[in-house]
This record gives sequence, C-alpha cells and structure tokens, in this order.
Amino acid sequence: MKKYSLAVDIGGTFTDAVLLADDGRTFVDKTLTTHGNLLEGFFRGVGLVLGHAGIEPGDVNDVVVHATTVVTNALIERKGPPVGLILTKGFTDILYIRDEHRYDMYDPQIEFAEPLIPRERTWALDERVLADGTVEKAAREAEIAAIARECEARGIQSVAVSLINAYRNGANEALVAEVFAREAPEIFVSLSSEIAPQMREYLRTSTVAINAYTVPITRPYLNALIAELDRQGFSQQPLIMLSNGGVIGAGRAGTLPVRMIESGPAAGALVACYFSRMFGLPDLISFDMGGTTAKACMIQNHVPLVTGTFEVDRRYRFKPGSGMPITVPSIDMIEIGAGGGSIAWVDELGLLRTGPESAGSIPGPVCYSRGGIEPCVTDADVVLGILDPDRFLGGDMKLDAAGARAAIGRLGARIGLTPEQTAWGIYEVVCEQMAAAARTHATDRGVDYRGLPMLAFGGAGPVHACLVADLIESKQVIYPPLASVLSAFGTLVTPAQIDLVRSQLGPIESLDPAAARALVGQMTEEGTAALTEAGLATADIGFVFGADLRYLGQQSELRIELPFDPRQGLDTAAMRAIFDREYIAQYGLKLDDMPIELVNWHVTARGRLPERATAHVSKGGSRPAPRSRIVHFRGKPVETTVYSRAELMEDDVIPGPLIVEERETTIFVLPGWTVRLHPNGSLVADKMTEH
Amino acid sequence: MDGVELQILWSNMIGIVSEQARALQRIAFSPIVREAGDLANGLFDARARMVAQAVTGTPGHINSLAAAAANLLRHVDADTLRPGDVLITNDPWMSAGHFFDITVLSPIFRGEKLIGYAGSTIHHTDIGGYGIGSGARDIHEEGLWIPVLKLYEAGVRNETLFAMITRNVRTPDALLGDLGAQVSSGMIAAQRLNALCDRYGLDDIESLADEIIDRSETATRESIRALPGGTFHGETTFDVPGGDRITLKTAVTIDDKAGEITVDFAGSSGRSPRGINVVPAYTQAYATFAIRSTLNPDLPNNAGSLAPIKLTLPENCVVNATYPSPVNARHVVGMYVPFPILNALSQVVPDKVVAEGSGAVWTVQIQGRDADGRAFTSSMFNYSGGMGARAGKPGISAVCYPTGVSAVPVEVLEAAYPIVFTCKELERGSGGAGAQPGGDGQRIGFRMRTTQPWLLNTVPSRLNEAPQGLAGGGPGRPGQFLVNGKPVVLSGKTDMKAGDEVMMITPGGGGFGALKAAKVA
Repeated sequence: MKKYSLAVDIGGTFTDAVLLADDGRTFVDKTLTTHGNLLEGFFRGVGLVLGHAGIEPGDVNDVVVHATTVVTNALIERKGPPVGLILTKGFTDILYIRDEHRYDMYDPQIEFAEPLIPRERTWALDERVLADGTVEKAAREAEIAAIARECEARGIQSVAVSLINAYRNGANEALVAEVFAREAPEIFVSLSSEIAPQMREYLRTSTVAINAYTVPITRPYLNALIAELDRQGFSQQPLIMLSNGGVIGAGRAGTLPVRMIESGPAAGALVACYFSRMFGLPDLISFDMGGTTAKACMIQNHVPLVTGTFEVDRRYRFKPGSGMPITVPSIDMIEIGAGGGSIAWVDELGLLRTGPESAGSIPGPVCYSRGGIEPCVTDADVVLGILDPDRFLGGDMKLDAAGARAAIGRLGARIGLTPEQTAWGIYEVVCEQMAAAARTHATDRGVDYRGLPMLAFGGAGPVHACLVADLIESKQVIYPPLASVLSAFGTLVTPAQIDLVRSQLGPIESLDPAAARALVGQMTEEGTAALTEAGLATADIGFVFGADLRYLGQQSELRIELPFDPRQGLDTAAMRAIFDREYIAQYGLKLDDMPIELVNWHVTARGRLPERATAHVSKGGSRPAPRSRIVHFRGKPVETTVYSRAELMEDDVIPGPLIVEERETTIFVLPGWTVRLHPNGSLVADKMTEH
Repeated sequence: MDGVELQILWSNMIGIVSEQARALQRIAFSPIVREAGDLANGLFDARARMVAQAVTGTPGHINSLAAAAANLLRHVDADTLRPGDVLITNDPWMSAGHFFDITVLSPIFRGEKLIGYAGSTIHHTDIGGYGIGSGARDIHEEGLWIPVLKLYEAGVRNETLFAMITRNVRTPDALLGDLGAQVSSGMIAAQRLNALCDRYGLDDIESLADEIIDRSETATRESIRALPGGTFHGETTFDVPGGDRITLKTAVTIDDKAGEITVDFAGSSGRSPRGINVVPAYTQAYATFAIRSTLNPDLPNNAGSLAPIKLTLPENCVVNATYPSPVNARHVVGMYVPFPILNALSQVVPDKVVAEGSGAVWTVQIQGRDADGRAFTSSMFNYSGGMGARAGKPGISAVCYPTGVSAVPVEVLEAAYPIVFTCKELERGSGGAGAQPGGDGQRIGFRMRTTQPWLLNTVPSRLNEAPQGLAGGGPGRPGQFLVNGKPVVLSGKTDMKAGDEVMMITPGGGGFGALKAAKVA
C-alpha cells in the first residue's frame, strides 16, 4: 500500500501544502492565507494537493504536519479574550518595568508596546520563594481561591502565573494550578515553572504571559483543526511544528502555544538539515529571503543551532528591544529586515541603504504597479535584468520595468549614480547586509562561516544567494527543488522532538548527583509523555543531554552537549574539558583556576528520523537553445544565458553568468561560478577555483 | 569612494564593533556588564580618532572613550607600539571620570603596520579604596589609580601590574575576569578588522575613516546650520547624596554659519567636597549626547559628529573637576548635564526634546558577610526613575534617560548575593501631570539574609528637588530614601544592622504641555 504524508505551512501571505507519496512523487500547491479563518486556507490547500494526486483524505495514512502563524498573528493583532496574570505581591509591575533598558540610547522618541496583560487584570499573591528554593512564605489556598473566583466573575479564560524564584522551586505556582483546577476548572493556567523554568523574572513572565494570552486562541483553532480533519475522513491526528524544529501532537501544542511562534521559519531551517544529510554536508548555512525579511540559520553536524531567547513583535522601527522577549528553546535564526520589498534610500551621510522599512506586498515595489512609489530591492533586480518583467510568476504578473527604472533613477541622481549603477548598488548593499549579519551571527556562536555551503530558498533567496555566498567566502550554493513550498516540505522530514530546560545552580564539582538525577529524570519523563502523545512508541524515543555552564561569577552561559546521561552519574571532568574547549573556540582563552558552574540542564527528546523518499530528475533528451539577456553587472552590461529550470540536464556544467528561471523565483549565478543539476533535483552552483 | 562602496565597508565596520561588544558582554563576569550593559566599545583609526562605536553602552562611557584613545597616546609613543601590546588606564581625566571605569586599548596591526585601535571601557566591580559612593575626601581615598601602562607587552602579561592590581581590590577574580574579557574582545576586533581589509583589499582604514568622519561632521554641521542662530539659556537644579543642591546653568550658542554649538556652563555650582565632581571628558560626553540625540540621533557617533560641539567650562565648577577633587560618584551630577541643554534647546526645537526626568540612576552596592560568614562585595546595581515626557509622547516609566543601562534582574541579584527584595513596583502617579504625563518612578525594597551588620553604599538623588515639566507640564514627584520606614540622609557608606530594611522610591519624570482643563458640565 502506498503511504502518503501531508504538510501545510500557513505563512503571512501564502498557505503552502505538500503531499508526499512514499514512491517519491510530490504534489504541491499554494493558496492565499485566509486571515479571517486560517483553516479555510488550510483545507483549500489540502483539497488542491489531494486533487493533484487523485486521492481521498482517508488515503493519507502517514503523518499530517502543520506549521502555522496563528500564534504570531494573535500577538500582533491583540484581539484575544481577557487574560489574567498572577505575580508575587510587591512585584506586580514586571511587565511594565521590563528590564529598565532604553534600547536605543540616542533616540529619545522610542516606544514600548503596552503589556500583553494589563495591570487591571494582574493579581498579587502573598507568597515568597527565596533564591535557594526555600519557601519563605507559602501561598494560601483561600487567597488563591478568591482570585480564581474573581477571574471567573470577570470572564477570564486563561491565567499566567509567574512567581519570584519559581524557576528554583515551583511549589507555590503548583498550588495555584491545583486550586484553580478545583475552583475554576474551565480557566486554563500557565505556570512559569513549567513553561520557562529559567532565572530572570521579566523574561520568564513575558514568556508565560504570551503563552497564557495565546492559549484561548490557539486551542480552539487546533481543536477545530482536529475536528475538521476527522470530519473529512483523515485518520491521523495532526502534528504541530514548534520553534525548536520538533513536532508534537496538536492537543499538547494547544497548551504550549509560546513554543509554536517560529514554527514556519523553523521548518525552513529543517529543510536545510534534510539537504545537509542528503548532500553529506554536515555544516551549512540556510538562506531564506522573502518579501520583507531574510532569515539565515547555521546547520552544524546536520542539526540547526538553537537558542534560548528571542523577541516577537518589535514595535518601534523594527528595533531589537522594542518587542516582547521569549525564553523557550528555538532554532537560532538571524532575521534581518532585508527582502524583495525592502525600500532603498540615501541616508544623511549620502550612503545608499536598504530597509528595514518595507513596501511589503501592498503597495509593494514600484514594478508591481500597485501604488508603490519607493524603489525596492525587487525594482533593482528588474532594472539589472536579473528578473524578466514578462515572466514573473511564470508571466502571471507583468512587472513595470520602466517605472522601476525611473524610481531608481531618482534615487541614484541624489548620489550621482546612473539607474543601473544604483540598482547594482542596491543589490550589493542588500547582499552585504545579509552577509554581515551572517558573519556576526556565526562568529558570535564560535562558528567559522568561511567556506560553508549555502542552501538558498524563498522567493528572493535564489536571486541574491550567489553574491551573499561570495561575500562570506562560501564555495557552493544549493538551490533545492520545491523552493517555494520548502518550509512545508521541511515539516515532513523532521523527527518529533521536544526540548526541555531546567535550572540547577551550583559549581559542577559540588553538584548533588541525586538532585541532578531527579531533575533530569523528570525532564525525560516529560519528553517521553509529549512524544508518546504524538504517536511515538517509547522504544523509538532517544535523548540528548546538554548543560549551560559558565565560570563561577559569570553572567552568561555556554551550552554544551554532554557525552553522558546525567541520570547515570556526573562526569565533571568531561564537563570541564568540553566547556574549556568551547570557551577557547569562542573567546580565545580559558581560565584554569576558575570553578565552573552549572546553570541549566537540557534534555532533547527525539523520535527517529522519518524516512520519506523524494525526487526525480529527468535525464537525457535535447533541450531548446538557451535564451539570453543583458544583465547590468557591476555597472556594465553583460550578455547572460537564461534557462528554464526544467531545461537543465543531469550532466550539464554551465558557467555563469547565468539565469535559471522557475515559476516562483529566479536563480542568478555570478561569473566565476558554474551550475550543475544534482540527481536529487537540486541545482548546485560551485565557485571556480582561481588560478 | 561612492555611497555604495562606503556603505558596504561601513556596515562591515559596524559589524566589527558590535561583535566586539557582544563578546565583551558575554565573557564578562559582573552583572553590571552582562545584565546592565554598562560598557562601551569603539574602533579607532591610526590617528586615534573614533570611527565606529557599538550600539550598546552608555553615553558617559562611549563619548568618554571617544576621547580616551588620543589621551592615552599622549603618554605612549604610538611608534613604539608592537603587535601584542595592550594599554590600560583608569585615570579619571583620561577616560570615564572615575577609577571603576577601566579603559583597555589594543593597537591593531596589519602585518607590521599599525592600522587602528580597539578600545573598551567597562565599569568594574571594585577598585579598592572607598568603593561606590561619594564619601571620599580626595581622589586618593577612592581607590587604585592605574596610570597609562602596558597590560601586555608583545603578548606577554605584565605580571608586576597584574600583581599590583590583584592585591589592591576586594574582588580580584571579578576584576581579572572582566579585564580578560576586555583584552579578548580587543583581539576579536583586531582579527575582524584584518579580515575586512583582506576581503576588500585594503592596506589600512585611513581613507575609509576619513570618508566616514568627514561625512559625519558635514551632516552634523548641516543639521546645526538649519537651526536659528543665537544663545539660549537653560538650567536645572537637583540634590545629591548628603542633601546638597546643585545647579547647572548652560548658555547654548548656536553658530548657524559655522554649524557649531558651544555650551558654556558659567554660573553652575562650584567644586564639591564630596565625590561628585565631574571630569571635563565626562561632561563633554553627556553634553554632546544631549545635542546629538536631539538633532540627529540616526547619525553615527564618531570623531566627526562630535567635533562641531564645543564646551566652555568655568574654573571652579562641579563639572570641571581638577586634581585632587574626589570624583567617585560623578554620574550623580554628570547624568544631569543634558537637562539644562535640553531646556535651552526646547526654545529652538520644542518637538524634539525631553522634559526633566529622574536624571541619574540610583546606584547601590552592598558589602558584608553572608549567613555562613563569607565576605561578599556586590557588583554595583542601579535603578531608574521615570523619564520625562516628550512633546508627542508620554515619558516612559522606569527607564533611565540620559543613560541606557538595564537593571539587573531581582532573581540574578538574589542568586548572587544574600539579598532579598521586598518589592519592586512602579510608584504610580509619580510622573508629572501634563498633556503628555511624565513616566513613573519605582518603589524598590530590600533587606539582607544575614545575621551580621552590613554596609550600604548608595547614591540616590532628587530627594527634594523635583524634575520639572516642560511647556506647562507639571513636575514629577521627588524620590524618597527610607530605612525601616524612616527617611534618612545618606552622604557616604552607611553601617546597617542585620534586620534593616531599605526602601528606595525613585523620582517620576516631568510632564510636557499643560493638562487640558476639565470641561465644565
């Protein structure tokens, strides 16, 4: 019997659907995201791909995986039902005080978003846990019960609890959950000691508040999804993509929406892992450039780098610090405001800049003829001749090349450059911006980026990837097939996975092994529970152990992977050796006499890698003679060969400059590079060695 | 260089200083660096002009650092520097105005050629002597004075200097760790700058520096030329630890022909016997900050954009400290420097200025023994009051202006030291009334988990003199400093008893514009 798996990725603009058969056939389609009711677009996309394959819902007998922007939308729109917040008495303004940081020192006009849960719906609980975990004042049931009744009376459906030092001892928080379960069982309670059990009260409170706020939106959404899949005859429970790149069951995901925020971008990074395995390249950089932003992710030893904190909904000029921080395990992505819709401008110093202001898709770049008047990155691509105005989206959308040239000409006139020079300038500046971000990101994490192959996708990714690669000294760019629905595809090549973090503070030499065993044991049990709910057999679940370490007295930690299972005892010599090695790699020194301190344990619970075949390449045959057009390369017109992607054959090795067109994107390869077709359907550009 | 080529090199250079700063912040030991971001990083050209700075840090540090490289090189002949040399000083007059701030300057070589310097200044946990606070009577009581010396010579540690420092501070581990972070971040900057030169085939960064600095200076002068010429007056009055009132007066002269602004502090309070005197570089740092952030906050901060702003300081003046005046708590005056300038500028660009706020952050340091008898000295930690309102926006609650440092989280402090906070909340209603209200201050209480007496070093301000509103906005509420519920006047280190409870209520910011009269029904 054939096996079919299905994936749907709902992004800001498009909803992508991918149906994969185990014989390697792939059916894909895109439909506009239906913001009023996201599930409408979901099932429209599903209907399309099932139609292409000629199968019924009941034939989908492998997984159904979903990545969605529902949580991010809920945070940006802020139309959710009222949510409550319970904080320690004396500390009820945590969301208003933040970390007291003015994120832009020079700009006196900065703004912060209003707290997600206002003071009017914040309750003070008379309790206190100390930093060593001692309960100085136990929470009282009667006080909690009174709060529960008040919440109920005010129509509150969801409550966040974040008590001081609860990362160390969550007993008082647990009591809140217990009393609410009894007194107001229909109110959903999110505990900081479960959602984000880490030190730093603002980070933890922000995280748990986001979770509580989005539960009343996400749970009904996922329940409706489960119900509709069932009604249509799908036999599988949906799995949900998390920000860390793992998938878990929709039921559990509904209680952990804060972990779903980067679900779509995480899926993109996983595609890069998939291709890193397929090409046998353990380390690479994924580069995904769309309409408003570009994202990059470092893949190391076939897995993406992960991070503990990130920020959502930056409110003021896209500036870091103006959004809400979140501390949950997440794929570590560089995101910069540089996409096809990024606006080019000249600053006060007469320097050509791009972004972060974006024309988005409406009005969009000038060439879209939708009212855009400011020159964008895509306009530059058109003026340069990289994009064919008559073949954009396969010719479905005619681009206004003259309008783009006029807008870029106006900008160039201000700094004494021709339209073509300006367009090349925009192209180069936006690529350099991405390269600079990638360099900083990589070195920040102790990764030597030089020579790493790059995987390029997204609508604007293949247009710019070759120069970005050149700028970070990369020698190879891979352009995978299905580039336009690649994130959805990524969810299907991903093992079920959940990452857990728990704090245990102390010098490694004096750690209590029994306490470590108990804590890590709890984490493995929690991970097992989450994955068995997602349909995995216990025998298929494996664990990876890690730790955040620092020199005693330091304020920031290094994450290391442990070569042992902390439940079986602690090998402190190995911990020190790995920490020292990583420390030298990142900072160029180590401190021999300084004790090392543990801050957090990490447990990754992971299912087996799914084996789902792909690919297909047509071999041999003849193809039409290539077309060509002029590309204004570094200010000079250069005759450039143009192919359609389908025209390339397996044995071809074609030198750049070269353009390869497909429906949703265009690949532009620089002189000095060659392109070949890999048997798995990817195009591979290699930099020619210099003599 | 055209606007494209320059932008590409420039964004690379910004990348280098950001990397340098992030490395410093991540390797650092003290909460004040890691959590509060009390640091500055800059990249200098071979002529010791600051070209680029990291976007972190505080104005006091960053703008002082801008001048520090040239100051250090007046004491060391640049021609004698070799690869692997690292310079150090904490001379208040050469860098950031008190001993706690140690500046490290690493020459960057390309082969044998000196092409620039990476510099950093951070606030260290302890520097011996008096500790945090304004109680020392002359500068020598305030701690260890490190003249301009080589911390490393051709890559070899200066063991004599390390031994000297180690023996003279209370927390040598933290200091050496943070110093290591400074040296290491300088190495990273040197590698990155060389990689940039490799990538773009540059022998040095002189022409790049010239372009950026010249263009920054031109743009700054243009923005000043766009203002009406004339002299505008402003003043601010506030009180400092011990209760002294300080007045800062400024005459801000806009030369709309030359595109220059001169700030004259004539009429300001004289030198103080307490450790609140401000060295000229630190005064300059906050004065230029006030003008730059009002006129063109998006312009890069470098030697060019700072050049058109000049200072005139009277001889006997609290913001013109001279040897041997104590300077330890200079921020408690220095952070008020912007306000008289903003008051003056409010007559020129009322829509761009900020009303008076709480001003200086309140700093705290605790020393003592924990329940097991182990001695501890905390890193300095700080809290903000409310920011003043803007013409079109309210003041922000619980952020500091003009500085940008963060507060160390309660949980981080409680885990590091035997301190227990009893509250940390907004002091609602403390911001001044107005069409745009001022930001609220905070109420922060703490006690110690110890059975021993302990020492409190703290620097509050504005306990009597309220932050004034602008354009008819009301004043913010002054702060309060209470021990066991009673107001106390602190002027230096204070002996505390085991069970004492401290309550700090930081000031609210001033409002902007008159409150609209309530409609009569």
